[in-house]
Amino acid sequence: MEKVSVWSSNRFWRRSATWVTGVSAVLLILLTFDSMAQMKMGTAADLKNKVDKRIPSPTVINYKIDYQLSRARGHEVPIIGGMDANGKSKYEVKEKFFGRDNYSEEEARTLIHKGKLTIQAKNCMDCHTFLGNGAYYAPDLTKAWLDPTWETLAPAYGGKEYAIAAFLQNPPAMAMHERKMPNLGITKDEAKAVVAYLKFMSAIDTNGFPRNFGKIKGAVNAWK
Amino acid sequence: MHGNRLYEGQKLALKYYFVAMVLFGAQLLFGLLAAIQFLYPDFLFGILDFSINRMVHINALVVWLLYAMIGAVYWLLPDEAQREVVGIKFGNLAFYVLTAAVAVVVLVYLFIQVGPGKESTIWFITEGREYIEAPRWADIGIVAVVLIFLYNVYATVMSGQRTGILAVLMADLIALAGLYLAGMFYTDNIAIDQYWWWWVVHLWVEATWEVYVAAVGGYILMKTLNANRKVVEMWLWIEVAMMFGSGILGLGHHYFWIGTPEYWWEIGALFSALEPVPLVGLFVHVLYDWGKERGKGNQINNTPAFAWLTVETFGNFLGAGVWGFMHTLPQINLYTHGTQWPAAHGHLAFFGAYVAILIGAIYLALQKKAGLEKLKMSKAGWWAISLITVGVLFMTVALTLSAYTQTMVERGMYGATWEGYFAAQANEWFWQGMCWRLITGLMVIAGYALLMYDMIRLAKKAPASEAEVSTAAA
Amino acid sequence: MCIEPCRDVVCTFWSILNQGPMTLTITLHTLIVLPMVWIYFDEKKKMERGDIPTE
Ligand code: HEC
Ligand code: HEM
Ligand code: HEM
Ligand SMILES: [Fe+2]
Repeated sequence: MEKVSVWSSNRFWRRSATWVTGVSAVLLILLTFDSMAQMKMGTAADLKNKVDKRIPSPTVINYKIDYQLSRARGHEVPIIGGMDANGKSKYEVKEKFFGRDNYSEEEARTLIHKGKLTIQAKNCMDCHTFLGNGAYYAPDLTKAWLDPTWETLAPAYGGKEYAIAAFLQNPPAMAMHERKMPNLGITKDEAKAVVAYLKFMSAIDTNGFPRNFGKIKGAVNAWK
Repeated sequence: MHGNRLYEGQKLALKYYFVAMVLFGAQLLFGLLAAIQFLYPDFLFGILDFSINRMVHINALVVWLLYAMIGAVYWLLPDEAQREVVGIKFGNLAFYVLTAAVAVVVLVYLFIQVGPGKESTIWFITEGREYIEAPRWADIGIVAVVLIFLYNVYATVMSGQRTGILAVLMADLIALAGLYLAGMFYTDNIAIDQYWWWWVVHLWVEATWEVYVAAVGGYILMKTLNANRKVVEMWLWIEVAMMFGSGILGLGHHYFWIGTPEYWWEIGALFSALEPVPLVGLFVHVLYDWGKERGKGNQINNTPAFAWLTVETFGNFLGAGVWGFMHTLPQINLYTHGTQWPAAHGHLAFFGAYVAILIGAIYLALQKKAGLEKLKMSKAGWWAISLITVGVLFMTVALTLSAYTQTMVERGMYGATWEGYFAAQANEWFWQGMCWRLITGLMVIAGYALLMYDMIRLAKKAPASEAEVSTAAA
Repeated sequence: MCIEPCRDVVCTFWSILNQGPMTLTITLHTLIVLPMVWIYFDEKKKMERGDIPTE
């Protein structure tokens, strides 16, 4: 038998490359099916039946939303409608959104739809990050609905949603920093829809990103 | 042999290269405007906002890289297949259609900028999704043009010589084009939106584009060093196995925090951690070939092309391999995700992996166009490569320092809030990095000017006549 | 003690395999790499038989 070197055979590497690529692609597709099933938007019935969904029904805008450490998961999770003793969502405590807490599934979906379209049409992602992806010129908006600064601004506007909507319609008028957000021509309806989207997004289970959101506050900058 | 004459396919390649280099200039210009706005936020405020400048910056980047990639395929296709490109008429038509479409898209970006929150905006103005903002009508046009391109490639290879390099490219280009479809639909669910968005972005730059570069890099090695085809092609298959083997499931490193199940932590971390391995392989391979040929006393046929290829292997390894690995484990990415970290990594990776090699490919073409047996690096060319490489490298270091500060202050100390964001931006370790980006950015732009000067000078050189070349070779 | 219950929102085949830092990826890597051993010996056999046309 003649001595052969498989390691320097192009055929061997070609077959290996084909195999590795093929099986990786198949695995990715299988994983994608599994992930897609888990990432489907929930329904109003899910909220009623207290079923945790990674991406809840748009009707979460009827509920109070919070973001708390879950002992079981080992990181923070969105808390929808109050928290029970085990650190899980109770889906009970409601919260008015522009004066109502009874948006139907369809109404909520319509709002979210317009909100998402506006977010894309105004290109928010080329200044901000959403779920951490986008640009780095302005704050991450994943949990913007829960930002402590909005809590302090809320009373003057009769509620957080009114404050954010007012800001979006004319950001320079409410500028907090030298780096301002420009006026993007957002209408009143669009602003309401975008705020609904921000509230909905803050209820997405992001596996604990961002960490410690709003929990700590510049302890180290004590000399200021 | 085709002698010194250019194939029609190669003439088309030169057109693609020309537009690519112009768009490269636009990319740098709009990057500069965006960088100025970080330091002087009132600059062009309300006229050309940061979002617009950034969008043009990264879109011009992606589009010019694609132009140069298509160009390089049209260049090597007839040379490898040993025949003229089939259907070149359609290829030429596609070039003009694509270029007209790109011009319209950019004008709309600049002068219309944003639209109302309606489907019509997605169709005609912008899709508002980073890197693939182009409106849907343009998406459809791009798909049509790419189909023509694929037809050119497949028809030519089917009726010509089918080398290993061409076999890899054929499979890779189909995947590359197919992936674009994953980014063309709209959904209200932002998690699913981003899930598929990454199929385009990640599976392009960390799978199909990397394999493309390995194939074209092999071709450049054979042209500049007369490297042995069998060895080059064996390496190519090894690279394909390692890049697709790590890169396809490495996609998981973008599925840590976007509403995806937790099992992606593991898959993303461990597969993407292996992604640097083939990049080291590529690096070693080029240096090894260089040493071997030098040992035999052989000279490099095209020093600028080879120098840029060396910058690519080095930059790919550093920018993608090292800088990518630094933030690819979920425990770290939890704090770096959405900070200047990805920006630091993105600059060196895109430059190292793609910009450098495509400039090399253009030099290779210019050599043949001018009919030169050997092309030596000119003074301008030397300054260009030095200024651009050092500029991008230092820019990356500056952004990395800013990124560290942002991670520690905004994420670590302030819990990622609006207030925390601006506390980090105001930290002097952060904003000094932004100053250095501006300075190093100007360095890159100076280098670009010299590069254009060098290339135009070469392109204008009348091709030496056949006779002259053969005596020079004798 | 080495096997942990699944903690994710939904527990599927993949989430159960996801045991701390390594199991899922080790399984997948094994699945990908092991058959290459078979390809190796298959190629070797063919080469020794001289079945392979020189390229
Ligand atoms: C040109 C860049 C730019 C664009 C485009 C942009 N923003 Fe902003 N945004 C900013 C800046 C800068 C700030 C910080 C303003 C300040 O602190 O005064 C900001 C602040 C905000 C805030 C408050 C910060 C927080 O954490 O809650 C929200 C909410 C917001 N933007 C939402 C949006 C939405 C929604 C869009 C798209 C419709 C958008 N932005 C588009 C630059 C931009
Ligand atoms: C040539 C190859 C590569 C290019 C061009 C590239 C480019 C980029 C770019 C531009 C981003 C930012 C995307 C955005 O805008 O949100 C990014 C993100 C990222 N890259 Fe790469 N990359 C490459 C290879 C790698 C490799 C090999 C690794 C890992 C080892 C890696 C790890 C990451 C990670 C973890 C992120 C996510 C950052 C975040 O959003 O948290 N990259 N890459
Ligand atoms: C070859 C050179 C360059 C390449 C390959 C490149 C690539 C990129 C990429 C991929 C991004 C997106 C990063 C991300 O989202 O993670 C980006 C953003 C950016 N680039 Fe560049 N760029 C180059 C040159 C420049 C120059 C010369 C400047 C400025 C002088 C510049 C300024 C910027 C700015 C300001 C951003 C926005 C970052 C942010 O959102 O915070 N770039 N560039
Ligand atoms: Fe990636």
